[in-house]
Amino acid sequence: MNEATSTADRKSRGRSDLKKLLAKNTAVVAFILVFVVSVALKGSVFFSTMNIVNILRNNSIIGIIALAMTLIIITGGIDLSVGSQMVIIGITVLAVTNATGSIVLGALTGMVLGVVLGAGAGSLVAKFKIPAFIVTLGTMGIYRAVSQYLLNGGGIMIGADPMDNFVRLANYDLFGVVPMTIIYWLLACAAIHVLATRTQTGRYIYSVGSNEKATLLSGINTDRVKIVAYSIAGLLVAFAAIIESSRLGSINSSSSGASYEMDAIAAAVVGGTSMSGGKGTILGTFCGALTLGVINNMMTLLGVPPFLVGAVKGAIIICAVLLQKVLGDK
Amino acid sequence: MSDYVLEMQSINKSYGGVQVLQEVEFSLKKAEIHALLGENGAGKSTLMNILGGVVLPQSGRIVVDGNVTSIHSPLAAQEHGIAFIHQELTLVNDLTVYENLFLGNEPKRHGLLDRERMHRESKAILAKMCIDLDPNVLVSELDASYKQIVEIARALLRNARILIMDEPTTSLTEIEVKCVFELMRSIKDQGVSIVFISHKLKEVIEICDSYTVLRDGRLITTGPIDHSVDEKVLAAHMVGKDLSFSDLYSPREVGGPLLQVRGYSKPGEYQNIDFTLNKGEILGFTGLLGDGRSELFMTIFGHGPKAEGEMLLDGKKVHIRSTKRAKELGIGYVPRNRKENGIIRDLSITQNTTITVMDRVLSFFLINYRKEQEIIDRYAHDLSIKMGRGDDAIGSLSGGNQQKVILSKWLAAHPKVLILDNPTQGVDIGAKLEIYEIIMRLAERGVSIVVLSSEAQEVLMLCDRIYVMYHGAIRKEFSRPEADAEKIMIVATGGEI
Repeated sequence: MNEATSTADRKSRGRSDLKKLLAKNTAVVAFILVFVVSVALKGSVFFSTMNIVNILRNNSIIGIIALAMTLIIITGGIDLSVGSQMVIIGITVLAVTNATGSIVLGALTGMVLGVVLGAGAGSLVAKFKIPAFIVTLGTMGIYRAVSQYLLNGGGIMIGADPMDNFVRLANYDLFGVVPMTIIYWLLACAAIHVLATRTQTGRYIYSVGSNEKATLLSGINTDRVKIVAYSIAGLLVAFAAIIESSRLGSINSSSSGASYEMDAIAAAVVGGTSMSGGKGTILGTFCGALTLGVINNMMTLLGVPPFLVGAVKGAIIICAVLLQKVLGDK
Repeated sequence: MSDYVLEMQSINKSYGGVQVLQEVEFSLKKAEIHALLGENGAGKSTLMNILGGVVLPQSGRIVVDGNVTSIHSPLAAQEHGIAFIHQELTLVNDLTVYENLFLGNEPKRHGLLDRERMHRESKAILAKMCIDLDPNVLVSELDASYKQIVEIARALLRNARILIMDEPTTSLTEIEVKCVFELMRSIKDQGVSIVFISHKLKEVIEICDSYTVLRDGRLITTGPIDHSVDEKVLAAHMVGKDLSFSDLYSPREVGGPLLQVRGYSKPGEYQNIDFTLNKGEILGFTGLLGDGRSELFMTIFGHGPKAEGEMLLDGKKVHIRSTKRAKELGIGYVPRNRKENGIIRDLSITQNTTITVMDRVLSFFLINYRKEQEIIDRYAHDLSIKMGRGDDAIGSLSGGNQQKVILSKWLAAHPKVLILDNPTQGVDIGAKLEIYEIIMRLAERGVSIVVLSSEAQEVLMLCDRIYVMYHGAIRKEFSRPEADAEKIMIVATGGEI
């Protein structure tokens, strides 16, 4: 009798655990669904190694920027400036590398700039209580305008000397098949996952986003937490900027990074990050970026007019938030 | 035909098995000001919400002007001439007085607002109330008493004959109170009846014609306010005499001064606060809502702009500019309003507990889940927190258990001083007693504790000494033997003993 109930207990508990797991990882479910549908529709073309590697590579940069976006959205903020921030950092990386001939120096300068820009925006949000939307709307315009002013609206290329090594950073294929950009993306995901789940900073970021007042009243410097979160996001954007400039060998002040903020927000939101803060996972954002990548790819394969791709993305963001609301109400 | 405009008979109401009103009777005469008295949770608000159509009673009769009626919505209440003036005012600051007066009820001509008529009628009603106020002024430019007056004018404009005023004077200065009282008298003379809810017994004696006292959801007594009724009589009715919790308190050795506050002032919040907290002592701070005690201890905990004055901890002068610094110095703070200030909804039970002591659960910069588990296990046991697993959502716990988690997070930080603001807010009787026992045990272990509470019984039960605050100042210090609920009530409501 006892045994029977405990088995039943275990069974129902197992079932409820599965339910919880699914509810927590809607992004994984969404990705699997989209993937299966894609295989069913365009099996051989879609499921070729070439196509899969392409999808992964084409979404690595957005994938890394989406990690930055996820951290900031978890604090309860948003960052509209990621695209133009990537451009101004990319330009700096290329300019410093060209001037000094040192890739290391170029990359380091870019990373320092990323942290400084992030900390600046974070300070405005935390110390002066300006809404993140406004701060980053402002910086988005500033970074883009300064970049265009510096390059007269044009681009900057990597110089002939460092070119080979610099370009190889992102374009080298590991084992001859896996582009390094994918490896960088996976590494960034792993690092930010550990940061979010296993460090004090990560815990504080969730806590601030969930209830800032209660966090402050727990004896925690919430302003510092926010500034650190924006700084880490800045570092991630710098990382993306280095990879992007290496992948293309150049950055254009007018066209590079356009609408990256939309793609990054979409990936985070489809990945289950709550716009009101406090909720979100790195696994979710990873799957969110992949889901969007697969949908993008399928639209190309199915011959959807490219001008309509943006409309589909917009609809996906709205649907994802709608789904969060419907599930969240239960 | 009775001479009552309103009779509420045998009113019953319960929320989820808790009887908040039991066979309550309430009668209101034409053109009288009637005080409705009782401690927090006595059932005053529920009774008035029933009258205002916000809440429906389980059973009972409401008779207005001799006719049995049912008030099933706020609109129905309005149609019966009943107007509820809430504590937090409902005016729109960015509109003018006359726009506010007609808000939601605007007269129109040819589909456009009839400003001329709104203007004319506003002037008329203000003149009838003998108030000298320009209807074109923005509400944001008015001081608190005039806002209250505009609220009343709005009710009268809708032909209210029964006015419910819920603690209208809490945010008013003494002069402003006079002004509102004058108006109340003048509208009473015009035949309007007023239900006056207030904790300030001095004001009740001054303005009211009769009173009704509720306690624990029952009618205790009702009658006219004549020369035989004074503040002491009312306070005794409100508090009741059948309460005794004295067995909970155990006398302890109290050590030397630990926290000394000298001349603390912050304009508009509190003035000239001097007090000393000794080692192992339980200190009570009580008074009415808005007496400044929460603001005072928020500042002491390093939250918000700094105050004038100085603070000594263990004999050394300290400047606490952040909550982080306060925690480092060994001060803990359990805030009031658990939901807004205490609970971190997206973190688990365990995570809510360890948030104050993250540095202690790290190994090589990474969170060690086993160490976190040890902390929650320990406090779940010590404070008998009824919970499932540590990684369940904090929202899955009952109010009392949530409060124990908030307590745990501060116990884990091993504070020397623990400030508890309304520690038993929204918890049931059982959990309340457990929390009192925890507080006693902590004091026995040498922790110095400050209990902030508007319930006199709570501080009487726990505290070695009691400070009573009124309008941002400490009005009186009681030692345990000399304190009683009536004296506290009198001082807290601005009276003298």
